[in-house]
Amino acid sequence: MSGEPQRSDIVAMLATYGERRPEQVPETISSLELAWLLHQIEQRYGELDIDDDMFVRMSTVTGAVEVLRDLNVGGSG
Amino acid sequence: MTGGAYPRLEPEWVDEVLLSGADDQECLHLGEPITRARLRELVTERQSVLSGAGLRLGGSVALCLPPSVSFIANLLATWRIGAQASLLDHRLTPYEVNGALQRLLPQVVVSAERSTAAPLRGFAEVTESVRTYQGGPAGTSHAVIQLSSGSTGPSKIIARDAGNLVEEIQRYTQIDGVPRAGERIVCLASMVHVLGLVGGLLYGLHAGVSLTIPARMTADGILSAVGADARPTTLLGVPFHIELLAAVPEPPKFPQLTGMTTGGELVRGDVYTTFTDRYGVRLGNMYGMTEVGVIATDLFGRNRPAVLPAPGLSVREEAGELLVSLPESPYIGIKDPGRWSDGWLHTKDAGRVDSRTGLVTILGRLDSQVSVGGLKVDLTEVEQTLATLPGVAGAVVVHDSAIEAYLMLDGGTELSAIESQITVRLAGYKRPRMLHVVGQLPRTATGKLVRDRAVLRSTGPAAPAANGAESDRPG
Repeated sequence: MSGEPQRSDIVAMLATYGERRPEQVPETISSLELAWLLHQIEQRYGELDIDDDMFVRMSTVTGAVEVLRDLNVGGSG
Repeated sequence: MTGGAYPRLEPEWVDEVLLSGADDQECLHLGEPITRARLRELVTERQSVLSGAGLRLGGSVALCLPPSVSFIANLLATWRIGAQASLLDHRLTPYEVNGALQRLLPQVVVSAERSTAAPLRGFAEVTESVRTYQGGPAGTSHAVIQLSSGSTGPSKIIARDAGNLVEEIQRYTQIDGVPRAGERIVCLASMVHVLGLVGGLLYGLHAGVSLTIPARMTADGILSAVGADARPTTLLGVPFHIELLAAVPEPPKFPQLTGMTTGGELVRGDVYTTFTDRYGVRLGNMYGMTEVGVIATDLFGRNRPAVLPAPGLSVREEAGELLVSLPESPYIGIKDPGRWSDGWLHTKDAGRVDSRTGLVTILGRLDSQVSVGGLKVDLTEVEQTLATLPGVAGAVVVHDSAIEAYLMLDGGTELSAIESQITVRLAGYKRPRMLHVVGQLPRTATGKLVRDRAVLRSTGPAAPAANGAESDRPG
């Protein structure tokens, strides 16, 4: 996986928890799923420095995409 | 009704059973070590505040606090005063908390005026709000009150007295494989629910096992907490934590890690194997209920998937349901022989008991309760909450990998309005993760709502709204 994680990438990473199909992944992200997602993201992109406010924003798939974009995850430079 | 099965314990039980030990012994670690002497000081301080708010022997207090030193100190202070503590999960919405308080009617309510609680934080720093409430003294001599899934409507008030708690703590001391004095528990389980409360906090305090809560409930955060100390360490959590830790491809070696124990549903076989291989430790299982605490265990994984009843408890099977011995009904306000009768509690778990070995195998749930991340949620209560919302003509709630709801809406009702109401009335972990708006809820020939997920999935959506709003949205 290269480049910025897209929405579909986030959904795919969330789907690996519980071996779900992408369409079974809800828009909201529970706290357990967030821990799972963080682990998946850090496996692919390395350790991230995410603060409490960012975790709050990552309560939805849309929010997660935005936070990772703000952190320039997978971006150039 | 006062507790007749157990001797009434004087408040000194807190000092004798939970707080005794060397002053300099570390008993907790929430970001920093806390010695017994320091915990006693904190408890004494909280006693003074609670007494100032009017709490006395036989009084009642509701605690609505995140995992924190504050929660622990207030709970022990309440018991040291000889009052009754009702535990409310801090994730409940204000609506749910108000509903619970109106049922429980405590004299004092302790909640967090400010806290550092945030997603994935294991514990918080709390500034408490202590206020009086228009309740009265405890109606019974029970020490702790908890509400079953759901804090309003048909949820049950579950009560345990101090004697019952002490008996459970002593039961733990006799189970082979529990952590021993001088060791550590890294506790990932909620301390407001029985696994973390008794299996973690109360047993740890009694047995001289230091209880650590990781600062961050991430894979890294948990493993850092394990590796931070060389003392023999047990992890206590729920199956999700096993899945998370098993997904770490090359975890560090932890010679101090003696094993992990989970409560709740059984871990899947492939996850069990991956975890035990990667960490080189045993993975144990604990089966219990809020009403009783620990019922049966398999801490070495020798009997997987079966569990052995804890010392002093009996488990039997009747008409496919597991019953556990309990001298008195744990419920306040209801007399339901379908729940407890003649010294036996109905678990509502299907199962069987091997008459030769006594091993218990749990086969599934007989009612509508599901486990969401280790927390019990009754789908019937979620469904009733949805079905009674203004604008909802009907609702069916099902559970597959997550809680989902199928809704029939009154004409002109916006789904967003329903979503807002759900956010007010249900804590996050109880909310449907997906909402499907359908034109008609399918019914059987006799008119009953169909709950078959395949049938529901194939039910047609509602006709498109005039403004083109979506009829199928994630919750």
